[in-house]
Amino acid sequence: MSSQDSQDIVTATTAIESAPDAKTRRYDRQLRLWAATGQSALESSRVLVISASATSSSILKNLVLPGIGHFTILDHAKVSHSDAGNNFFLEGSDSIGKYRSEEAVRLLSELNDGVEGRANTRTLEDILESQPEWITSFTIVIAHNLDHSLLHKLSALLWKDSRYPPLVAVRSAGFLADFYIQFHEHTIIESHSETSPSLRIDKPFPALRELALSLEYDKMDPTEHGHIPYVVILVRALEDWKKSHGNSLPKSYDERQQFKKGILALKMKGDEENFDEAEAQAYRCWTETKIPSEIAVLFSDPALSTDTLNTSTSPFFHLLAALKEFAAQSEIHTLPLTSTLPDMKSDTQNYIQLQRLYKARAEEEKQAFKSYLQVPVDDAMVDSFIKNAHALVVLRGKTWGAFDEDKGALAESLSTMPKETCIHLALSALSLLQASDTSVSPSAESIRAKMQSIVGQSIKLPDEADDAIGEIARAPFSELPNTAAFLGGMVAQEVIKMITKQYVPVKGYCVIDLIETWTGTIGA
Amino acid sequence: MATENGSATSSDWQDRYYHVDQILDRPGPRTDPSFLAGDEVKDFLRNKCKILVIGAGGLGCEILANLALTGFKDIHVIDMDTIDISNLNRQFLFRPADVGRPKAIVAAEYVMKRVPGIKVTPYYGKIQDKGDDYYLQFNLVICGLDSVEARRWINATLVNLVDPENPESLKPLIDGGTEGFKGQARVILPTVSSCYECSLDMLNKPTTFPICTIANTPRLPEHCIEWASVLEWPRARGDEKLDTDDPEHIGWLYSIAAARAKEFKIEGVTWSLTQGVVKNVIPAIASTNAIIAAACCNEAFKIATSSAAYLNNYFMLIGTEGVYSYTFEHEKRDHCPVCGGEALEMSISREWTVEQLMELLTEKQNIQIKKPSLATPENPIYFQQPPQLEEAMRPNLEKKVSELVPDGGEITVTASSLPFSLSLIITYV
Amino acid sequence: MIKIWSMKKNEDAAAKRRPKTSAAQIRVQKDLTELDLPSTMKTNFPDPSDLLNFTLTITPDEGMYMGGAFTFSFTINTNYPHEPPKVKCMQTIYHPNVDLEGNVCLNILREDWKPVLNLNSVMVGLQYLFLEPNADDPLNKEAAEELRKNREQFLYNVKTSMRGGHIKGVTYNKVLV
Repeated sequence: MSSQDSQDIVTATTAIESAPDAKTRRYDRQLRLWAATGQSALESSRVLVISASATSSSILKNLVLPGIGHFTILDHAKVSHSDAGNNFFLEGSDSIGKYRSEEAVRLLSELNDGVEGRANTRTLEDILESQPEWITSFTIVIAHNLDHSLLHKLSALLWKDSRYPPLVAVRSAGFLADFYIQFHEHTIIESHSETSPSLRIDKPFPALRELALSLEYDKMDPTEHGHIPYVVILVRALEDWKKSHGNSLPKSYDERQQFKKGILALKMKGDEENFDEAEAQAYRCWTETKIPSEIAVLFSDPALSTDTLNTSTSPFFHLLAALKEFAAQSEIHTLPLTSTLPDMKSDTQNYIQLQRLYKARAEEEKQAFKSYLQVPVDDAMVDSFIKNAHALVVLRGKTWGAFDEDKGALAESLSTMPKETCIHLALSALSLLQASDTSVSPSAESIRAKMQSIVGQSIKLPDEADDAIGEIARAPFSELPNTAAFLGGMVAQEVIKMITKQYVPVKGYCVIDLIETWTGTIGA
Repeated sequence: MATENGSATSSDWQDRYYHVDQILDRPGPRTDPSFLAGDEVKDFLRNKCKILVIGAGGLGCEILANLALTGFKDIHVIDMDTIDISNLNRQFLFRPADVGRPKAIVAAEYVMKRVPGIKVTPYYGKIQDKGDDYYLQFNLVICGLDSVEARRWINATLVNLVDPENPESLKPLIDGGTEGFKGQARVILPTVSSCYECSLDMLNKPTTFPICTIANTPRLPEHCIEWASVLEWPRARGDEKLDTDDPEHIGWLYSIAAARAKEFKIEGVTWSLTQGVVKNVIPAIASTNAIIAAACCNEAFKIATSSAAYLNNYFMLIGTEGVYSYTFEHEKRDHCPVCGGEALEMSISREWTVEQLMELLTEKQNIQIKKPSLATPENPIYFQQPPQLEEAMRPNLEKKVSELVPDGGEITVTASSLPFSLSLIITYV
Repeated sequence: MIKIWSMKKNEDAAAKRRPKTSAAQIRVQKDLTELDLPSTMKTNFPDPSDLLNFTLTITPDEGMYMGGAFTFSFTINTNYPHEPPKVKCMQTIYHPNVDLEGNVCLNILREDWKPVLNLNSVMVGLQYLFLEPNADDPLNKEAAEELRKNREQFLYNVKTSMRGGHIKGVTYNKVLV
């Protein structure tokens, strides 16, 4: 956390904020999704887009608006008659004959003063030959309908080193499209998962247990009784149950029903919502708080082995290593407690008291967690990591095109997701055919033959292939404005997730059919 | 100026529609056999088709740009809002200098300037300002709205517009909506497929808190904010209307909420949260709007040209964890108050009284409604309950139906024995 | 354009013209005409052709509020039943669940409103507040406190308030019939 940030937090909690500044107001609707951390990641990002097609411009529009730091469009082509007709970031026939990249950069830059845009009119071939380090200096690289062999070269370059930027390869023809994000590894702390961390009702920490045991239902007036938070009711009910059942939990269906009935029997009046809440949440008593299986898997991640973990490893894996150690050392083998308490029926005093118990305990566990950290990590990141420890994500990817090389995976995909796989293959076939001869429209037969050669002659293409082939043959070079706009949104969305490291990006090929209007994911 | 086959005008440079024409020059495998490839469909799209866009906000800006590039040349747009600075992160037809100006007008100007030869006609006002004649002039309607109420209104209006005598009266309605990384697009063919009202119970309700919690047992920062806006505002500011766009108002609520939070030792009241709660702010980003608007415009294009199968009838997208989408057919609801129920044509004598009509409804073999209550769209005629209304309307029983209902006019009948309601179209013999 | 009309031909029920009446209006008509109110509740429509604005008077025939007549305003907007009706008490009354501004604490008027509920459920809910005032989740905290701690005093206060008397500096409206 920067000193500026910590200053802000101090001011926010001690004094009244004044109305937000113009920038905060401008970005208000997106800050509610990715907060200041996500915004600052966007603002320090540099995006390279190859080609100034309608699709590329649409993608960039959706990145310039939320405020990336910089973008460059690499395109040496001049605006053609057809470009001028389908790209909103060209000025109709006035743009014809000018550099596509320069026109698009000029018009895209109007969308947001805070974003720096550059046009580059060199050829990709030239740069790949003479200046590959320019390409790898970007945060992320996006390529639309790039020539097959150039895409191969580009993807090979970016795959060489795991620190090189991810590549988003986008292809479209008519109503059909797919895109793929090539990355080595992508780690996410703020996955914005909808699952919530355990409240430890089954394994209460001492202060919570004490609070629950101190309840004296019979000495309460109806108001107090009706405002005991359900968490405390459940901890107490479970303690009482264990006492009378040889320290074991309600196990069978009958026992659990009995446990629930017991809770309702505690009611003083029929309409006590806190007891209704306790009954509804009773499953928490027999859902054991332990390391979620998705997180347990991460503990055996190769990045955590002692010979790979060093000072140059990303903080994420140091945090993960500390988490693993914390879980191993903790008496009850759980993740550190988070201080986030959901709202529940209660009066202010009881709720705030309970919230404070959770906070105090969470702070203790955080200190324990920090003691396992091998390198210093800033406190805001530690807090965020603990808060999201139940929903951490580590994605590992494959190189672009690996799927098309894997005959087994293709065959499997053709049988489980035939529609999606056929569209993907037809797009692959189109780009291979275009690479060999750009002058003629590929026929349905040639597309089918190419698809067949990709999957291998022994595999029979499913019936769904006809729909994909026919549609590609109908409009092989058509970049429809709506398809471009749809892809523009989809790809920008994923790029934002990659850059902010928030939410979970798509893994594999995202396939889009805008005839029946669906999307699907294959080859993950 | 139209050329001989009507498919090109002076602003159309050669190859302007190179990309779209690849689709319009030949059918694909999933194209309906009725599709007539070539000049006729291009002429319809570019010179005849008239399309209405409702909303010039996050979705609306995208929709207008897409339609213009696709080749729709007669576009109308309605929006009652003016531009706010918080729109600029996604409503890409607006610049900081436009803040305060009407969205519909600025958006129309921008699209016409950028895409030559397109006519965009703006209307700065409410959809409710316009009547049937206005809506009847369009071939298609696309909605990019953020209000349930406005959607219900336009949906009901388009369903009501359907006239069995006039096939042109059926206007496809394409509706889009977004929230953060999530969105949906759907195609409604009024009276044919499921309408907006059919799916009303699928909607999420905005979070509300019990008023006694707000008053007495606040636990969350939101409770403190609602205390300020729901209880303290009217107490302290009297009849002054709370304007959630006025920074002074938000500032006032924020300071009241912050003081209350301090008193109760609750953390987390911020300016941004205050604004979020009182305005019910929905997160919104350019990319989601782009996806949903493109899906809507793509349906409009396919429906207008028959060039490919169209969405049947609901596309839902969730982009928070990977890309998850679900395309399904939302079923029409039998007793939908807008598109369901039944309509009966009844021919009666001009001399008939309301009482006679009611007797007929009660006794007629195929109707047999017990204790019907009757109203015209403007006025109640006779209500069985509550007693005060029953008494007030009792004199109507003696009146002639023809004094209360014009020829071809409608009567809504409700009764506990009816699942929802029955409408009568009254004609006189 | 696609030929939607040809699809329509097969749909007999859909071939009739729809009424111009809004969904909210039909729903209010249905709710009102199916009201089943006891003699202790009466509606009043200042303008019988405006079904969206009316009042309800409750005259409890038992309980501690017996003898009073309590009037609530109902305002229904065109988004009904997606949104609940807005209900306010029109008098200043001494009641744990009604504040001095006339706000009413009834769950189905806010957080628990569902479109399947109707005007009858709201009215019955309001009447219940007079039979069983809830002291545990109050809006008027002082009244609730009194009800909990000193029932006798509370009953006395209710009577005083219903006569139009003062309690702790507040003047209440006379509601006795």
